[in-house]
Amino acid sequence: MQPDTSAITIQPCKHCGTQAPVDVHFCPRCDRILTLGRHGDYFIFFGLPRRLHVDVQDLEKRFRAFSRQFHPDYFYNSSSAERLASLERSSYLNDAFRTLREPVDRLEYLLKLEGFAPKGAHEATSKVPPELLEDVFELNEQLETIQQMRAGGAPEGEVAARLEAARQPIQTNLDAHETQLSALMTRHDAQADSGDAAGRLATLDALRALLVERTYLTNLLATVRRELGGGQAASV
Amino acid sequence: MSKVVGIDLGTTNSLVAIVRDGVPIVLPDESGDTLLPSIVSAGDDDAVYVGREAQRRLLTDPARTVYSVKRFMGRGIEDVAGESRWFPFKVSGQAGGVIHIHLGERELTPPEVSGFILRELKRRAEAVFAREGDFDPEVDRAVITVPAYFNDAQRTATRDAGRFAGLDVLRIINEPTAACLAYGLDKRHQGVIAVYDLGGGTFDISILKVEDGVFQVLSTNGDTHLGGDDIDRLLVEQIVGELGLDPATSGAAVQAIRKAVIQAKWDLSDFDHADIVADRVAGRAEAYRRHIAREEFETLIAPIVERTLQPCRRALEDAGIKADQVDEVVLVGGSTRIPMVRREVERLFGKPPHSDLNPDEVVALGAAVQADILVSGRREMLLLDVTPLSLGIETMGGIVSKIILRNSTIPASGSEMFTTFVDNQTAVDIHILQGEREMVADNRSLGRFKLRGIPPMPAGLPRVQVRFQIDANGILSVFARELRTNIEQAIEVKPSYGLTDEEVERMLIESFEHAQEDVEARMLIEVRNEAETIMQATEKTLRRPDFDQIAATLLTPAEIASIRTALAALAEAISTSDRALLQAKSQALNDGTRHLAEVMMNWTIQSALAGRTADEVASKGR
Repeated sequence: MQPDTSAITIQPCKHCGTQAPVDVHFCPRCDRILTLGRHGDYFIFFGLPRRLHVDVQDLEKRFRAFSRQFHPDYFYNSSSAERLASLERSSYLNDAFRTLREPVDRLEYLLKLEGFAPKGAHEATSKVPPELLEDVFELNEQLETIQQMRAGGAPEGEVAARLEAARQPIQTNLDAHETQLSALMTRHDAQADSGDAAGRLATLDALRALLVERTYLTNLLATVRRELGGGQAASV
Repeated sequence: MSKVVGIDLGTTNSLVAIVRDGVPIVLPDESGDTLLPSIVSAGDDDAVYVGREAQRRLLTDPARTVYSVKRFMGRGIEDVAGESRWFPFKVSGQAGGVIHIHLGERELTPPEVSGFILRELKRRAEAVFAREGDFDPEVDRAVITVPAYFNDAQRTATRDAGRFAGLDVLRIINEPTAACLAYGLDKRHQGVIAVYDLGGGTFDISILKVEDGVFQVLSTNGDTHLGGDDIDRLLVEQIVGELGLDPATSGAAVQAIRKAVIQAKWDLSDFDHADIVADRVAGRAEAYRRHIAREEFETLIAPIVERTLQPCRRALEDAGIKADQVDEVVLVGGSTRIPMVRREVERLFGKPPHSDLNPDEVVALGAAVQADILVSGRREMLLLDVTPLSLGIETMGGIVSKIILRNSTIPASGSEMFTTFVDNQTAVDIHILQGEREMVADNRSLGRFKLRGIPPMPAGLPRVQVRFQIDANGILSVFARELRTNIEQAIEVKPSYGLTDEEVERMLIESFEHAQEDVEARMLIEVRNEAETIMQATEKTLRRPDFDQIAATLLTPAEIASIRTALAALAEAISTSDRALLQAKSQALNDGTRHLAEVMMNWTIQSALAGRTADEVASKGR
């Protein structure tokens, strides 16, 4: 595993002044809880390598163990500096756990860490990814037909069947994306393990593009679901 | 060393508990009662009564008596408009501000009224310690429970109430989680637990995962305005409608009916039929009596029970758990004694709920356990709760931008970057909201603040990072820092429905000026409480559906007549302030019912044994 030198910095313990590495949780000398260093990341915080596959049960175990060390409940009689450190460290732990537990959140987070954040804030939602143009065009046409059918008083069963038919290709495409994402994530982890830095960056780039498409497909499915729900409400 | 207690500050009743030798216990008052009715009443002499005495005054002086104050905590006058006409006391306040409750001549905020209840519990605990010969019986710290679905304003109001009572509130914890803690201590549960908590005024559902002694709340949902109170009000409305009374002008009658329907509601948990019986209904010579069958009751309350099921489904969905993956279901709150509630909960989760611990006491027990964890530094158990509602800020166009999502484990933090829109702008207005909806108007306003002291710079250049921190109590604080100059800004949030620190300080000083203790009045209250206990026990026996059958074989008519006479005499004495008389009549009823109590006890044992074989009885007896 390659050492991540960018994250190594030093911070002084507020109690005894010892220069402690920023990513340790307790002062190596006086054992008091340390103020949260600003440079840590969620993976390092949990003592995990920067990988896209995480053993969730192991993560949960670590989360519970850290909770037992950091939680404000155990710092009631401590100094105000320690109480604040406990509060910040617990908050950070909870955020980190929530993010790393969910595969997609974990992927988004790792991409951000590696500087692969979406270029524009709206990229993921507003612009249609080129690969999906055909799908989107087809779906919009279907939805228009369905709205006309509904306006013309077509039986709800017929409308629902038509919607399901329109939904199916999107769902298939999404499933394919999930499979591809999973394969790329495995490849990323293998490249990270073997120290193939260039290959890893290429994989991350591919993952980002795939993730944008996946988000777009999920939104399309939500649209179909809304249409389906609206149809049911209208038929009552 | 001064003491720490756990307090369940309930809508209907409140309790105080401690941990002794590792075991949580609820502390009783002098007459052995563990429940303190959450009722506060002002006497004509400006004395303040709390608990059973205040409950009695609800019938004699309803306009000066306040109950269900918890429903007003952290809320605005516009929130309670629909129900306040059913309360005999007056509430006032301006829209968007703190409510004022009229307690006699005084206008108090809900935290101040709740403070009276907490002070009484503090006194009760101190009395217990003093009776045991403790040299330092003072209680100055507490863990207080709140419904899981309480928002920031309601939690802050609860903490303020503690301050009014002279208590340092170590922690605010959620009632269902507290209940789970009390159970976990007992049985070392593992797995997924659903806690269904239907109390007097609030409903909560929490889904927890318990492992390695860590109680992690996965999700919570609920309704802070749904509970036994609503069932009572439905029944009262029904009766008041049947009688053609106007609630605005017949406060005493409504309260008498309310007392009667509550009794009938309780009876219907044990029997298929009950009578609603009230003496004091305006303009009537004879007592009011109305029969109610369980089916009629269930038809009436079905919508209320149904309203609890939707939050349950949402909580399961948020936790990512299917109903059949729940290992155990725990019931909390007096309203879970209603058979229909148990039935519906069992149907939803597909397994019978259990309630080995008294549903009235389990929350206070859990609060005591948490208090003990905090002061003792014991680490075998840890409670990880969540924030029930998303936290956000207002952005352009009246839309809410969420910063901390609901069901996030607390403590939790989030931050947002702000900048300026015009050159040399030095302040930005920020509006904080809690809720799940998109638009500002549909969420709860927590407060506003002005971010000041931004260095004059061209528009868009300053970068102000505002950090929102929710602590382990679920209470928010806000910090801000301008990143270019690295200046930390002081922020004073003006709470929408709460009190500022200065307001709390001022009110504290005023309350000391009012504080007065009347020893004679307290002693009278204690004697009255005892009298009430024995009266209720006797009345309950006489009301049993099988009473006539038992009496016919085991009691003489003369005996029954003399019991009724003693009961009537005590009922008369209880409305006076003659302590000696009250004591004498109490004693008389106590003596007069001794044989009755024996007969009933034997009858219960006999009917429990009936139908068993002699062998079974013998083996049990051995």
